[in-house]
Amino acid sequence: MALPETTGELRAEPLPENTAPQMIAEDVPPAPNSAVVALLDNADQQSRIGRLDAAAAALERALRLEPRNAEVWSRLAEIRLQQGQLDQAANLAAKSNNLAGNNVSVLARNWKTIAQARSRKGDLKGAREAQDKLRELEGKR
Amino acid sequence: MTRRKKTLLRLAAKMALAMAIITVPYVLYLDFTVRTHFEGKRWELPARVYARPLELFQGMRLTPAALDAELSDLGYRRNARLDAAGQYSPGDNELRFVTRAFRFWDSAEPSRKVRVAFEGGAVHELQDFESGKTLDLVRLDPVLIGSIYPAHHEDRVLVQIGEVPPLLIKTLIAVEDRHYYRHYGVNPVSIARAMLANLRSGRAVQGGSTLTQQLVKNFYLTSERTWWRKLNEAIMALLLEAHYSKDEILEAYLNEVFLGQEGSRAIHGFSLASRFYFGQPLNELKLPQFALLVGMVRGPSYYDPRRHAERALALRSLVLDVLLDQQLITAEEARTAKAAPLGVIPRAPSGTSPYPAFMDLLRRQLKRDYKEEDLTSEGLQIFTTFDPRIQKNTEQALDARIAQLEKQYKIPAGRLEGAVVVARNDNGEVLAVAGGREARYSGFNRALDAQRPIGSLVKPAVYLTALSLPKRYTLATLLDDSPVTFNNPGGKPWAPQNYDLQNHGMVPLLGALAHSYNVSTARLGMEIGVPGVVRTMKRLGVMRDIAPFPSVLLGAVELTPIEVTQMYQTIASGGFRAPLRSIREVLTVKGEPLQRYPLSVEQVYEPAPVFLLTTALQQVVSAGTARSVIQQLPDGLTVAGKTGTTDDLRDSWFAGFSGQHLAVVWVGRDDNRPTGLSGASGALRVWGDIMGTIGADPLRLTPPASVELARVDLQTGLRAGPGCADAVELPFIEGSAPGEISPCADGGENSIERFFKRFFQAQPARSR
Repeated sequence: MALPETTGELRAEPLPENTAPQMIAEDVPPAPNSAVVALLDNADQQSRIGRLDAAAAALERALRLEPRNAEVWSRLAEIRLQQGQLDQAANLAAKSNNLAGNNVSVLARNWKTIAQARSRKGDLKGAREAQDKLRELEGKR
Repeated sequence: MTRRKKTLLRLAAKMALAMAIITVPYVLYLDFTVRTHFEGKRWELPARVYARPLELFQGMRLTPAALDAELSDLGYRRNARLDAAGQYSPGDNELRFVTRAFRFWDSAEPSRKVRVAFEGGAVHELQDFESGKTLDLVRLDPVLIGSIYPAHHEDRVLVQIGEVPPLLIKTLIAVEDRHYYRHYGVNPVSIARAMLANLRSGRAVQGGSTLTQQLVKNFYLTSERTWWRKLNEAIMALLLEAHYSKDEILEAYLNEVFLGQEGSRAIHGFSLASRFYFGQPLNELKLPQFALLVGMVRGPSYYDPRRHAERALALRSLVLDVLLDQQLITAEEARTAKAAPLGVIPRAPSGTSPYPAFMDLLRRQLKRDYKEEDLTSEGLQIFTTFDPRIQKNTEQALDARIAQLEKQYKIPAGRLEGAVVVARNDNGEVLAVAGGREARYSGFNRALDAQRPIGSLVKPAVYLTALSLPKRYTLATLLDDSPVTFNNPGGKPWAPQNYDLQNHGMVPLLGALAHSYNVSTARLGMEIGVPGVVRTMKRLGVMRDIAPFPSVLLGAVELTPIEVTQMYQTIASGGFRAPLRSIREVLTVKGEPLQRYPLSVEQVYEPAPVFLLTTALQQVVSAGTARSVIQQLPDGLTVAGKTGTTDDLRDSWFAGFSGQHLAVVWVGRDDNRPTGLSGASGALRVWGDIMGTIGADPLRLTPPASVELARVDLQTGLRAGPGCADAVELPFIEGSAPGEISPCADGGENSIERFFKRFFQAQPARSR
């Protein structure tokens, strides 16, 4: 199927319908995916018995199914915090924040993770800032 | 007894003693050899490399054809009875199959009876076809995509005797050594028979070997046929039997026996032979297949079923007759088995991988952590991120499109080349790599090694640097596109030119990127400073040193496709760099986890400027230089990306992403001559073919909390007043939206019309 040549001048073509910048995500919550739910349960079980690597692996599997699921990123951040991987914990929580939209409970968990990661790294000022964010969110709940 | 007799006896005793003094140490030496070798016997096992396991769940995008292809890559057989693992049966918009149990590092997947029903290119129902119970998630066994060998090598897949079907063992014993469980390593009757035959012919021609002797011969001895060697063999067989159980010896035999050859690769053991000839694991074989394999012990190349089907059939009948003779099978079973086709897969699964470009990337990443000899001898199991379905689509798209472009652009056949990397946006897993149009050829891997100027692919780094300064730059900021000359201290003055050689006047920042204007980009880059742009590239993940010359702003930077992929991964994931990975985990030969390569991300940009940049990159596709790709994509598949073209049309690039997938395509010639292709007319089309077929999902952006929307008049870059009915709504970092209201004075023509005029009517919008 040879497509028409389009590198030349576009002048003669009709205007495309959708030229205004594509806006932007109504914030539709994703339908709960039973596979992701099952993997979250699995991660919970694994972390309860102290198998944190296996819990993290289950969460990574869930992220392959739903890479934009803020809750899964948030849980992975918490596992990394438990494992003492403080930089990863903070980065993963920030990633979750970036996808959480207005999900106050996920945002709050993330700021809690960030606050703890920062304070354990000795970044007390940063930890206080995160605590402030956390309080602000808890006010909204 | 006479004196003489006594003397003789004494002499005999002395001689026996002398013999013993010589023989006993020798036998002890043989005993030592036998034991140390047998116990220390560690076969050198190549590392096995697996693709990602396919995970099935309700709602996932998947076509029946793609699932069918995956199952057939796995060696599942079509069989409507569905009474054993590894069988599948396609139906009307559904597929039923029985999965194989498989041990992953984190858990074991049991064998399951699965029914998948499809609707609209997605999995609609997923259930156990017997109980009807819904299944949340089914993880298939992973496709073996290659092994890592030394140059000349024995290849084998180890089995334990408990995993070998009993009938296969019975067949082997019936044919090769029917007294195996009764003798002590040698069988005097058959030795006597063989000796007689040998005496008659005057040399050692006949074996009469037990399985134990055959094993000894393979393990310890050369294949010369001398009496001395036969004697050694017999002694060692006796010793082996004295030390080890029948099952231990048999297990070693099952793994040792030579059953075929492919180039420099020798096929050893029944387990690998089963995959090599039938594409199936040993425990799925049936009587006719056992019979053939056991028969082939006698001469794997003479009876090679691929080259000598007649001989192989005759051999199989012979073996079946032996089994019938010994009443191991019924006459009916023998008849059915004789009538069965050989069932050999036409081409052996190659020892070298069919995916050399990905294996190349994998080996480079493995090299950081493993020694070469560990990879070729320890039997490591390597689980990768590789997706065979996306790879296939990528290879086909590249090959077909390049052939078509050669014709269309009158390029001599075979001269145009290309390379592709496909990865996941958010976790950096590499899904597919094409190192050239000939995917099976493991030569120059352009995806990893072709270092080419990236042209306008660099521009997102320029604009991201600017958009990170919200007080100075927004998507609506007007940039000056009129001609300019920069004085280059110590060099020639630099006067960048637009691809269309036009002056576009004052253009909004959004449009300057969407249409890839060079002059306004160069002016912008000089305003913010080249070193800042270079720093941005580093933060995005480009490791290479880049000298901060102004020409960098327009892409005079040479990168490989994989480096570009890392740079765009950071953008596609909202500013969270995830190092590109090809490995998920490495397990020992016994399945114990050795090393994981976990997901790691690093936030290198605030989400807000990356969000603005991505909005502009969507505009590249919906209204800018990559607009032509829309007709290639399924309806509703929104994407973002950037075209790149270099001087005289030598390199054609496109880097872009959908909701989950990122692909970078380069098209050009190895001799670096012009191709006549821009980014849009070359690489973009390959990209569109790939994204259109891999079940990509639309890019939907969540605006970060610090972003607000405002209506602006793009002609003035000011906030749209009530008179500007058709102004454009754009995202701004909080507090950066223009405050001043645009007059929108010229009334009759609304701003949207002017917007279009500016971009699509006044000038041809060719990419650079």
